[in-house]
Amino acid sequence: MKGISHFTVGIAAASCFPEAVNTAMTGNPLYFILGGVFGLLPDTIDFKFSRFFYKHDIEVIPDPNKPDPGMIANIVAHAVNTAHATGKHIRIKLNTIPVGPDLWQQYKVTFDTAAHEVIVSYGPVMDMNGIPAHDTRNKKMPEACATLHCDVKLDYQATTKIDILDGPVFEMIPADKHFVIPRFIPWHRQWSHSLIMGLLTALTGGAIWGPLAALVIFSAYTAHIALDQTGFMGSNICWPFRINRVEGLKVVHSNNASANFTTVWLACIITFWNLYRASTFVLPDLNFIKLLSYTVFMPFGLYAIFRNRIYLQRFVSAKIRLIKNKIHVKNTR
Amino acid sequence: MIIILSAITGTLCSALLACIPGLHVYNVMAVIIIALYSFQLTVPPEILIPCAMSMMVGYSMLNTIPSVIFAAPDESSVFTVLPGQKYLMTGRGFEGVIITAAGGLTGLFILLFIIGPTAPFVLPVMQSVIRPHVHWILWCIICFMLMSEWPKTGRLGQGGWRKFLNSCKTTSAGLLTFLLSGLLGFILIYKSPIPVNSSFQNLMPAFIGLFTMPWLILNIISNVRIPPQQFSTNMDRTAIAKGTAAGALGGMFSAFIPVVTAGVGGFLAGHATAIRDDRAFLTSQGTSKLIYYTGTLLFFFLPNLTMTRGGAAWMISGIYTTSSSYYDYYIALASVAISGCTAFLLVGPITRYIITFTTKYGFHNISIISLSIAAIFVITITGWIGLLITLTATAIGLIPVLYGSRRMNCLGIILLPIACNMSGLGQPIAKILGLL
Repeated sequence: MKGISHFTVGIAAASCFPEAVNTAMTGNPLYFILGGVFGLLPDTIDFKFSRFFYKHDIEVIPDPNKPDPGMIANIVAHAVNTAHATGKHIRIKLNTIPVGPDLWQQYKVTFDTAAHEVIVSYGPVMDMNGIPAHDTRNKKMPEACATLHCDVKLDYQATTKIDILDGPVFEMIPADKHFVIPRFIPWHRQWSHSLIMGLLTALTGGAIWGPLAALVIFSAYTAHIALDQTGFMGSNICWPFRINRVEGLKVVHSNNASANFTTVWLACIITFWNLYRASTFVLPDLNFIKLLSYTVFMPFGLYAIFRNRIYLQRFVSAKIRLIKNKIHVKNTR
Repeated sequence: MIIILSAITGTLCSALLACIPGLHVYNVMAVIIIALYSFQLTVPPEILIPCAMSMMVGYSMLNTIPSVIFAAPDESSVFTVLPGQKYLMTGRGFEGVIITAAGGLTGLFILLFIIGPTAPFVLPVMQSVIRPHVHWILWCIICFMLMSEWPKTGRLGQGGWRKFLNSCKTTSAGLLTFLLSGLLGFILIYKSPIPVNSSFQNLMPAFIGLFTMPWLILNIISNVRIPPQQFSTNMDRTAIAKGTAAGALGGMFSAFIPVVTAGVGGFLAGHATAIRDDRAFLTSQGTSKLIYYTGTLLFFFLPNLTMTRGGAAWMISGIYTTSSSYYDYYIALASVAISGCTAFLLVGPITRYIITFTTKYGFHNISIISLSIAAIFVITITGWIGLLITLTATAIGLIPVLYGSRRMNCLGIILLPIACNMSGLGQPIAKILGLL
């Protein structure tokens, strides 16, 4: 999930403690800040610290002036083959290709498990927002492939797009004699996304700010891990007892706009409800279900109807046609 | 008839003001209100409300033009500069302005048909519940702003301390900008060097320095030449719809929570809705800005709410007390409708004229003129000491420009002191800084 989703869920987790809300009402923002900050902390640790300390064995820096997908494909295949031949873990960093102050040449790396190949193809030039700067739909883009000498068992998606800012690292893990696992960004969602780390940070926070802070921190931290577990990559929940990430539930992609917005919105509604419960202001007959109906079910339902209006129209017209046919058959009888 | 005339007059005035870089609607309103106050003049609500509302609507719709064409934004339109410049440099400056204005128009409809009718029922509830919690909301916004700053350097090379320290450049620059602008905010709030007779414009020189000057200086130094401009538009319904949804959320949030400007509201909503497309982003900023500027003043006229948000509402609250009936609120809503439509119709012709003017006289020269106007304006209102504050703020505002960090961190000038004040930390910190 995106940063703001984790941050708002952390705040919502803090608001679930009535004492935290009461403290906030007296002017002390501590528990809510802790909720938000520790809700986002696991990703902050990964993307602002772990990423920059992670060592690699091979670094690929493509030339922006000479597109050469063959070179990239060969090096990635070499990393997989070396891992397979030597039985050692090989870490390969694929760098992005900046082609202007705000422009990046996209390329895709695909592990074709059936054909035992690595395919690298160049894509459009992207801007900072990850949007194609020019239309390249009808343009032939350079593509190349390289042969793998072993099977590949995918850890994440088969195709990885490399475009803006920083490129990914793959750790080629020789799993047994026959196959290699290319682990995508192996520095991400490891120890930082474990329950033990959540507990340790909570205990540290508790020692500084008291037991309520520990509870808030632990709730926000674990909410982050739980939310990430709905995605594809999963997290290393059981670190240090396990060294690999636990596969995600594959419900939504972490960068899915609708899922992120729904999470943020729900977190805001939960926070509002908890603040309302603590306030002296009383609205007759308002309960959590009613609040959810007005703020979640109704607007999201209307949105769903609007999004699927074509299918709905088809469905309704098909039903009408069916009824008309039945009447017609009845009349003719 | 008086209401219609007042609304149109206010819109035309704001149309003129919005095109002058560095000139904010609040500055002009302050001068008018001080003149009214000094001459003991009373203005009937049928003139005051439409005039004030239409100035806000017109400004929020039309100040996109200097943000995109001259790269001279105010604190709420600072986010439109980068995508706006991208449009301008690819010969599509007109399109950039029109897309943002289209966002403003959709914001106007949301304000008139959704927020306007529901605000009397929803806002009292929201205010009663959220009022004691505003301080932590501000702190959380600050924390998220700082934590979500993305390291843009440290891409290449082997992992280790060197790479990590290299990556810290952007994030440290963001933090430094926030702290320095926050410190400047403390000084201006607790021990302002601005003369007492200009104290109503206490923050104006700093805002011009933080947000307007750095881009103009950069344009002058880099001697940018703008390519020939096209006067066509390519509107995408999906982008407009997405942008409107995000902008509406951001605008409502910023209009409701004190100190949070449209830019910050739009930034948070943009994160929540994962907006990536420039067109959707510009639309969202247009929507957010219109709802923020207009909403803050509109809510002031809601009876029995006593909600004073934004500079305009604070200034008007000094000379006008809202009635306990919905009379004022309805006048305000009608004025918003009239002036919103008028302002939108003015966007196209004014943009065409300004683009032709800029192409004729050169972007470099226009930037020099814009910078001179902003400097003269600061000196006229606040004197030489004001210019000194502007220069200090410009130095701070140049940090994000030079290091590629977020310019939004400059909002530390209001966010930090106000959040500290709300949590009871303002005075102790001011004492430590020797400001009390």
